[in-house]
Amino acid sequence: MLLALRDVGKAWLLKRTGERVTALQSISLDVHPGEFLILLGPSGCGKSTLLQIIAGLEAPSTGDIRFPDGNGRGKLTSMVFQDYALFPWRTVLGNVVFGPEVRSVGRGEREAKARQLIELVNLRGAENRYPHELSGGMRQRVALARALANDPEVLLFDEPLAALDAQTRRVLQDELLRIWAETGKTFVYVTHSLQEAVLLGSRIVLMTAGPGRIKQIVDLPLPRPRHLTGRAEAELLDRLDGLLGEEVNRAMAL
Amino acid sequence: MTASHLRQIASVAGLLVLWQLLVQTGKLSELFLPAPLSVLAAMWEMTRSGQLPWAVLVSLNRVVQGFVYGATAGVVLGLLAGAVGWIEDLLDPWVAALYPIPKSALFPLFLLWFGLGDTSKIATIAIGVLFLVLVNTITGVRSISPVLLKAARDLGASRLQIFVKVILPGALPNIFTGLRLGAGMALILVFITEIEATKAGLGFLLWEAFQLLDTKKVFAGVVTFGLLGVAATWLLQWLERVGCPWLQRSN
Repeated sequence: MLLALRDVGKAWLLKRTGERVTALQSISLDVHPGEFLILLGPSGCGKSTLLQIIAGLEAPSTGDIRFPDGNGRGKLTSMVFQDYALFPWRTVLGNVVFGPEVRSVGRGEREAKARQLIELVNLRGAENRYPHELSGGMRQRVALARALANDPEVLLFDEPLAALDAQTRRVLQDELLRIWAETGKTFVYVTHSLQEAVLLGSRIVLMTAGPGRIKQIVDLPLPRPRHLTGRAEAELLDRLDGLLGEEVNRAMAL
Repeated sequence: MTASHLRQIASVAGLLVLWQLLVQTGKLSELFLPAPLSVLAAMWEMTRSGQLPWAVLVSLNRVVQGFVYGATAGVVLGLLAGAVGWIEDLLDPWVAALYPIPKSALFPLFLLWFGLGDTSKIATIAIGVLFLVLVNTITGVRSISPVLLKAARDLGASRLQIFVKVILPGALPNIFTGLRLGAGMALILVFITEIEATKAGLGFLLWEAFQLLDTKKVFAGVVTFGLLGVAATWLLQWLERVGCPWLQRSN
């Protein structure tokens, strides 16, 4: 076990109406080393909030996160954002070295490391380009390399491929799987796409909407590479579709 | 050179030639509108005698000092206000109250406080530049996407590192906008502050020439102000290219 969420909840007050909104409720979840964990749920189920809590960017209102190693948060997690969140004034190289740079790693060391990672995400030759000179798919590769540069144990993905076209998304899904296998890191991956969940995940946490709770945890022992047309995949899709459908309907009824 | 360039040159050259001809044929009076060549001759004469370069130097000294003080204060206060909530609260009412006041209206006060020397003029220019740079810097800080601050925090940046490595570069394009507007304001204010209570500077030269009805010299002063404006724009554009290389078009 890498980290454990115990009874985590998040609620906030809507300033305008004074209404109390519960985004997350009693989430208990263990993240295992090396797994590809999917957080799947309808829009507004609080899965992104959960990811931010794991990242330490938001504090939970109730419950806590435990790091059994006892080494605290350290450089345990790094986040890949949906809209890339690259620094427009830094080149590809400049973005990737940001983490080591603020952690006072020497220039030579951090640039060597960054070049390795740029190679890993297949962006060699683009080191000196600015983000606006890159396509969406390339930007997300930079964001991935930047997140890897701190050598985190867990990578957190917040719907990283949602803004990309279908073709690019397919290519990057394969890339993510390759990098996951090559680095042996733990991936926690938020998505609302069933297909993506089935293609990528080794475990799926299915969430309910309003307030966000864990509905079911589904293991995916299917071999890779997976194909959405495969029999096992199709059966799983069907089952998840039923479960997710209930939640989408519930969410829309609210 | 494109057709567009040629048309632009033809427009300027055509008008200057027409103007010259109208004066030479007596259709326009030299008293109101001296011919371009006469203005050029006057400028040459004033340059040779040292009168024009000296006036430019005196004015530039006031402009540059006022600009540097005002811009520095504007950038520092703007970044702090944009990044630290309580500093913004302290600053906000003052900005709201003082921003709409034409800064030239403060000149009499500064004359009263700082006397007839350069200080009152430099202070007026500095205040004018400060507000433009301050307001644009605050806008720049506010325009930074919150997700960038989140990403920096996630990657391990401290508050100071976020300030230096995210807020400052993120606000830089707007800061340059403020500096460009500030440079224009500095030239306006140096002219206004040199009309009265001084015996040197480009504004003084121009105004004195007007009072003597020496229209050629008035024109010479106006043209020189224009050249200073162009030079300031070029300088700031160059600085912006160096300071914000990521804003360049890609090709």
